[in-house]
Amino acid sequence: MAEVEETLKRIQAHRGVVATMVVNAEGIPIRTTLDNSTTVQYAGLLHQLTMKARSTVRDIDPQNELTFLRIRSKKHEIMVAPESKSILAPNRCKKISFFFPKN
Amino acid sequence: SSGSQRRASILSGIYANKAASSRSLSTTSDGKAVDRASLVFDDEGKDVTPHPLFRSDPNTVVPRQGKLLASSAYFGATGSGFLSSFSTHQTSGVNGSLGSLSRTYGSSSTSLSNASTTESILDEIQKRPCLLTSYNFSDVQVRQEEIREWTKEDLDRRVDIYLTETETIWILDMPSVVVSVESEDAGRVLERNRIYVDICKNRPGNDRYVEKMMQTINGAAKNKEVQCDKIIMEDKGLLVTSWDLYDSFNVSEIEPTSKAEGSRATTGKSSTTSSLMISESAVLARIHEEEECHSEAILTSENFQQNLFFMERILMENIFQPKLAAYRQFPVLIGLFLIGCPVYSLQIVKTKQEEHDKEKKDKEEQKDAFVDPSILSDLNKTPEEIVPPRLERLWSYICDLTNGHNVSSMAWSKVNPDLLAVGYGAFDCKEQKKGLACCWSLKNPMWPERIFRCEHGVTALDFSMASPNLLAVGMYDGSVTIYNVRSCNDAALLDSSESSNKHTGPIWQMRWVEQDRGATGDGKKERLICISADGRITEWFIQKRLDCIDLMKIKRTESDKRKLPGEKERKREALISQQAAGMCFDFHPKDTNFYLAGTEEGHIHKCSCSCNEQFLETYRGHKGPVYKVAWNPFSSDMFLSCSADWSIILWHQDSQTPILTFSSATAFVHDVMWSPKSAYIFAAVNESRVEIWDLSASILNPVTSCFANPRVKFTSVLFAKNTDCLLVGDSKGEVSVFELQNLAAPNNNKVRFTRTRWWSSEACMLVWYFIPPKGASVKDLANRY
Repeated sequence: MAEVEETLKRIQAHRGVVATMVVNAEGIPIRTTLDNSTTVQYAGLLHQLTMKARSTVRDIDPQNELTFLRIRSKKHEIMVAPESKSILAPNRCKKISFFFPKN
Repeated sequence: SSGSQRRASILSGIYANKAASSRSLSTTSDGKAVDRASLVFDDEGKDVTPHPLFRSDPNTVVPRQGKLLASSAYFGATGSGFLSSFSTHQTSGVNGSLGSLSRTYGSSSTSLSNASTTESILDEIQKRPCLLTSYNFSDVQVRQEEIREWTKEDLDRRVDIYLTETETIWILDMPSVVVSVESEDAGRVLERNRIYVDICKNRPGNDRYVEKMMQTINGAAKNKEVQCDKIIMEDKGLLVTSWDLYDSFNVSEIEPTSKAEGSRATTGKSSTTSSLMISESAVLARIHEEEECHSEAILTSENFQQNLFFMERILMENIFQPKLAAYRQFPVLIGLFLIGCPVYSLQIVKTKQEEHDKEKKDKEEQKDAFVDPSILSDLNKTPEEIVPPRLERLWSYICDLTNGHNVSSMAWSKVNPDLLAVGYGAFDCKEQKKGLACCWSLKNPMWPERIFRCEHGVTALDFSMASPNLLAVGMYDGSVTIYNVRSCNDAALLDSSESSNKHTGPIWQMRWVEQDRGATGDGKKERLICISADGRITEWFIQKRLDCIDLMKIKRTESDKRKLPGEKERKREALISQQAAGMCFDFHPKDTNFYLAGTEEGHIHKCSCSCNEQFLETYRGHKGPVYKVAWNPFSSDMFLSCSADWSIILWHQDSQTPILTFSSATAFVHDVMWSPKSAYIFAAVNESRVEIWDLSASILNPVTSCFANPRVKFTSVLFAKNTDCLLVGDSKGEVSVFELQNLAAPNNNKVRFTRTRWWSSEACMLVWYFIPPKGASVKDLANRY
């Protein structure tokens, strides 16, 4: 647990990282560094997109699975680490972090 | 089966009376015993049991009609149908044998057979002969056989089945009411029609026809209402995807919830995408185990840790991508930087002025990144133009944890060229604090992968070759610890604290050395060798090799190589009671039997593993402690040594006096290392700067150097094996990675012949100096003189 907290803090403390969010399997945010309304908005939208992306990957090859999703836009980059079924974890969660590159 | 029993009983019921009569007949004809109970007597006692009207010959061959009629299904028709079949196919009577059979079934007569029916049947029986009896007989016969126990022989017995076609059985006969005009009956039919029409015409008003009405009594109707629970209807829709099918085939431990009929969600549905998504997520939640997602459970799950780990690495890659690309020596492409959006796939261009201008111009055009061949050609070095070599700083391995510690030693992993172990510990005894050994990975320059905290300052470390996960760490108090880098655990794998013969001074250098054990006949065996300030070079053994994973104390039985550097001097000078401290050693790259050891007094001794009493040779040249000795990896007769007397000396092993001395600064030279790529290049670090020397270019000055920050001293240097980079550690805990650019290739086709005159501090020597074509080595340089 301490390890997780430390890593999470390190990521959040990064110069270029704007926000981090941890979202559970239903799309409900568990932990966030943004305000509530933005969190909910992002969580909802990204949850749908991740589901769709995962469905796409698995449709093409059912033995494949989505490991990481990165969306790069003009202003910033969103990185989503979805849960993967191969790792035995009954509670699944997603980790979303927003990264604004400064250069 | 009970069904067949019942059917048999139907038969028997019908035939019971017949049987009785037959029995009476047979009594009279054959003299058999009579069943008194089935005889009918009238009031006067006369025997009035009805006689069967037809008695078939018991000896007639009963053709077995086969399965068609013997099948009970046929006889399983409704009772009325059965009886009506009787009416159409009258039996030809009863056999005597049938009678005997039905005796067994006689007891199970049913009420189905009432007297009138039986009589009518019996009346009609005589009308037309048919083979139904035989059918029934065969049927009953078959059934009797079925009841009997089957023996194995019966099963194996050959059974003959005769299939013949039966007579046509009319089940339904609806004669047509239409007759063709041309048929023979046409006239008769027309005639009859005509008669009928006449009758109908005569009917009204005719006395022979009376109209009569009847009233049927309708029973009283009764209304009844029934109410049931509301039938709950549920609509379920499912978007069937191929992974869905795959999952449901493969994941068997999940209970097979009844999936709704897989209806492909059509786009024409009125349901919005949100509802579809809800159903999708509901489906997903249904497929996998539905558990309450406690946030605590999520945060502590291993999955989450893994995700975080990946996320951090990817962030690092984002941030450091250009530097890492430079490290990996990816080719340079010109990138155009749109404002606010760096194109990560291209590398940062070297900051030359003309490129910069060009970039600005292109930026205004707002074009996408592409390779402009004209710019590239500018970069291509023309053969005449030589760009001077330079060191470019890429990044540093530093974090909060290591800030403030002095970098004392660095070592690459033997199998993973991107894994670096750095030891942190002060050189002075005054500044001692708890030491640290960290393993850094290229993938994350901001936080070490492994952190091992040590009681004392770490002064030396090395990765093992035979078991690449072992990291041996030597400390300021003379103890040796071995860590297993595979585990994240901080605990040491093996420790030397229990051994009685451990060092009493700081271990200044430690190395895993592969040695051919010619004597014992083993293959290459790896030994851990340390040199320390108490004047001993020791070899450490691990008693339980590699299988100890738990904390085990090392049982050390070392074969001490007693090195008494002061011995020779003692004979010549005054007795020195103490042993001289050893500072460094290096094993010969080709022949691991002998090695060099540098001491605090400035002497370098060549020693052999097989002889631990005396030195083979002593090289005297330095005036201060020798901090490092290094054999040239290509030209194995030359070696370098650096010392606190501000100088670096190049030696040849056959000559007791130095070949070349390099001094460029008035500072301790802490570390020196040959480049793994070239025989002429080495790096040296003194306190204020790091220098790259290229012997093929100049022996008086380093070809390039890089200054440290004012408050910081460089303490150690390490070349990267798989790339042209240099790692420099400093006293503030920072390990900087520099890229060596434009260093002259070692095998130059140009031959430059320069003769210089160089006077060494100890002897006069004339040095001929040239750049040879490929194949020659620094040895040739010294061999000439």
